[in-house]
Amino acid sequence: MKKVLVFLFIVLLMTVALPKVTITLWHAMSGSRLPAVEAIVNGFNATHPDIEVVAQFTGSYAETLTKAIAAYRANDQPHIVQVYEVGLQTMLDSGAIVPVYELAGPDFDWGDVIGPILEYYSVNGKLYSMPFNSSTAILYYNKDIFKAAGLDPNKPPTTFSELYEYGRKIVESGAAPGGISFGWPAWVFEQMHAYHAQFYANNENGRKAKATEVYFNKDFGIDVMAEWMKWAQDKVLVYGGREYSANQAFLSSQVAMLIQSTSSVGSIESKANFNVGTTFLPRIEGYPRGNSVIGGATLWVMKGHTQKEYEAIWEFLQYVMKTEVTMQWHKSTGYFPATNSAVKALLDEGWFVEHPNHLTAFLQILSGTRVPEAQGVRLGNFVAIRDVVDSAIEEALQYTGTNYKKEAKRILDNAAKKANTILEEYTMIYGK
Amino acid sequence: MLVVIIFPVYYAFTMSTFNSKEAYSFPPRFLPSTHIWENYKTAWTTVNMGRLIFNSSFISVTVALAKIGLSIMAAFAFTYFGEFKGKFFFFTTILITHMLPLPIRIVPTYDLMRSFGWINTYYALTIPFFASATGTLLFRQLFLTVPPSLSDAARIDGAGPMRFLVNVLIPLSKTNIGALFLIEFTYMWNVYLWPMIITNSNNMRVVQIGIKMLLASEAQAADWNIIMAGTILAMLPPLLVLLIFQKTIMEGFSLKEEK
Amino acid sequence: MPGEEEFPRFQFSFRGGKMQRRFPNKVLPYLLVSPSIVVVIIFLVIPTIQSLYMSFFRVSPFGDRLIFVKLYNFTKLFKSTDYVHSLLITLVFAAAVVALGITIGLLISVVLNQRLKGLNYYRTLFIWTYAISPAVAGTIWALMFDPSSGPIVYIIKTLFNVKLNWMMNGNLALVIVIIAASWKMLGYNIIFFLAGLQTIPEELLEAASIDGASSVRKFFKITLPLLSPTTFFLLIMNMLYAFFQVFGLIDIMTKGGPGNATEVLVYKLYRDGFINLDTGFASAQSVVLFVFVAILTALQFKYAERRVFYG
Repeated sequence: MKKVLVFLFIVLLMTVALPKVTITLWHAMSGSRLPAVEAIVNGFNATHPDIEVVAQFTGSYAETLTKAIAAYRANDQPHIVQVYEVGLQTMLDSGAIVPVYELAGPDFDWGDVIGPILEYYSVNGKLYSMPFNSSTAILYYNKDIFKAAGLDPNKPPTTFSELYEYGRKIVESGAAPGGISFGWPAWVFEQMHAYHAQFYANNENGRKAKATEVYFNKDFGIDVMAEWMKWAQDKVLVYGGREYSANQAFLSSQVAMLIQSTSSVGSIESKANFNVGTTFLPRIEGYPRGNSVIGGATLWVMKGHTQKEYEAIWEFLQYVMKTEVTMQWHKSTGYFPATNSAVKALLDEGWFVEHPNHLTAFLQILSGTRVPEAQGVRLGNFVAIRDVVDSAIEEALQYTGTNYKKEAKRILDNAAKKANTILEEYTMIYGK
Repeated sequence: MLVVIIFPVYYAFTMSTFNSKEAYSFPPRFLPSTHIWENYKTAWTTVNMGRLIFNSSFISVTVALAKIGLSIMAAFAFTYFGEFKGKFFFFTTILITHMLPLPIRIVPTYDLMRSFGWINTYYALTIPFFASATGTLLFRQLFLTVPPSLSDAARIDGAGPMRFLVNVLIPLSKTNIGALFLIEFTYMWNVYLWPMIITNSNNMRVVQIGIKMLLASEAQAADWNIIMAGTILAMLPPLLVLLIFQKTIMEGFSLKEEK
Repeated sequence: MPGEEEFPRFQFSFRGGKMQRRFPNKVLPYLLVSPSIVVVIIFLVIPTIQSLYMSFFRVSPFGDRLIFVKLYNFTKLFKSTDYVHSLLITLVFAAAVVALGITIGLLISVVLNQRLKGLNYYRTLFIWTYAISPAVAGTIWALMFDPSSGPIVYIIKTLFNVKLNWMMNGNLALVIVIIAASWKMLGYNIIFFLAGLQTIPEELLEAASIDGASSVRKFFKITLPLLSPTTFFLLIMNMLYAFFQVFGLIDIMTKGGPGNATEVLVYKLYRDGFINLDTGFASAQSVVLFVFVAILTALQFKYAERRVFYG
């Protein structure tokens, strides 16, 4: 009996002497990414008995950002919050964050982080948030439908005109009711700009100084928009809603192609009952080559916590960047592994040979040209501007006339006006 | 007619019995399948439905009871104490709650919760709802139909007003209390905007937001079968309450019609 | 929020207590009303006044900077094509929801009111949409019209060879949202219409039959006029529902899209206030909504006052 008591006492002492630091992490990873996040968190907790990370799914990216801001104002903020690239300027100007470079120890190997990712998220050469889930947009396609329509399943379209042609063939042959769909329309629109080395806004996309004017209503934007409108009218393009809802149309074979983030590779491959192929984004002829843009989100650390908690947070952030962890994250989702070591390890074990669709996004990013137009756009209140562009695209796709360019110009000019007002109001509050 | 009303829910239920492949099949199937258990289980665990149901039940019952209590008290005061000073002012104040639906004051109310430290707490989910113009009027109307002789008798007997309230009025109000309970319970169970902005953590969310979360968490490939399972679960409690109180509410409204 | 859920018609009379109804306590009435008053003032009245105050400012997303801008938010409102568009959409939406909900509800109630066998069970089947929340109704109808897997989309395609894709057709999106919203309100409307129908004296209808009036005539000359208090009440309640309570439905089904086609005022307010974090602008929208509600409620009070209460 005495032995039991002593044992219990020691256990009690240990639990008291080893107080667990609790870290809350808010994220927007839905679908099959949710268990992938939990796997990371559980792995960390198991190897760090004095820290407990609690991950919470808080809705979409926009909702997560909103909640984090609200929580901060209520003094109830989480420790780490996943904010998408669109929220970058807001977070920078918020005064509510602790930059990650301040938390980092001296021996963190920044050079191991993949180049484009590091560049995208750095401000003046420093990382303010920790890269976590980076992606880019790629073109998915249904090989079985291609075959049924008489197209070569190993030759997906490369240009806009090829895409249109193949789409028409697919619809006319009855192989599928629609040619292509895409998610995140405004993001894809931004991708197109970067992919063809076109600036989206002034001041080098808002990276040299705060952007005050958008450029998406110039010739390039109009051309792209007009093309999409034509596709929509000729039943090649079927709009599937914002964010990820277009995946449904693709998965249920309602459309043969899908432009979507590479982070859907995991979900799509597991749910599809057909052969899934992936390839680079299509190009529109007559414009230079740029690069596709990094999308996704990073982990931001919020102010107002204790030193001990910040140490724990840094532990977690380092863990996330560990080779095995980021490798597994990539495998389960399709997001880029964040470090060069991870890429090498994946290569060495032959992962990409067996999972070619996971490689596409990589190759696309690496094969593009490094131009300032493809570094990424930074806009104040980008959330609202995205919304404006999404609405504009939705409106354009409902057009039933024939004067595409004129209508596209009208819609884009309208959207640009609204976007510029938003930018103006942002500088009204935050200065230049 | 019935078909139009019922069909959507029938299909929702049917969908909740499909597995993924069946859910995606085109053309859609109209007869139920057998995967009820796993779908409901998945929906339940994905959004932690047990906790959500508990939260919704707790706040719905609390608010319903509180509203009934506060309304009875106020109605009693307005009926049985003559023209006390400020009566008109108080009466109007309670009535204008009807004119102030949440969206009109949503940001300041939210800020208020913030300054009280009530964000993400049961307090914010319940206390602001405690007053009710409807309830007050309902009971006042009812009390006005109670013969004055009863209160007269009570007064003469030396029984205090509170005694009268508890022993006479409340038993007489049973039907109205039942009706109001149904109304308020259903209302609180179904409220959406307020819980959405006021709760941040999974353990404080309510069922309605659970549905939203379920939809969001299936974002990459909407699993309608799971979503419908969650939706059906969300529907059941108020439905149950409705069935129980159905008779009461029909009687309650006939009572109001008395001329 | 209080007052939103249901508002029976009431007798607005300050005849005051007759001698027999009066208890002599001086302090007790104040104690009895105080909880309600406290709640109302703190949580409803003061925030509303603050809303008005905030509408004159521009506020930063994180709440740390306030700039007094006088009427800027209001001029922006009415100059903004988005807002005017939202206003129009809301009016169309509300009118449709009210019209559909009331006419169909009335029709169903009249049928249900006949004294047929087993009608009680039938009655329950119609009433229960009352228990469904706008969000749940939204989810169910989102499935119904889902472009990829919706049964109604399939049925229409088979019958008429038309592919319904609400994501590419703003008008269609508005239609399905109207359908979902009116469907949900049917239960509520039926409850009240049934109650109202039951108060119509049998003798009146019988006398009319004896005089040779047809059912249709009876309906329009007797039933409908006698139902007018109920109808008016439901008009107001359905209006308030269409303006405010459908938020959950819109959030689930369309989030205001596609291209703002279903962005009703209350949704735009949420978006500006909580997503775009433009608090001042959202407050201005609150004020406009308040004016609208005030008018509606004033109408309701005025109408109800015409009924005198005896006793």
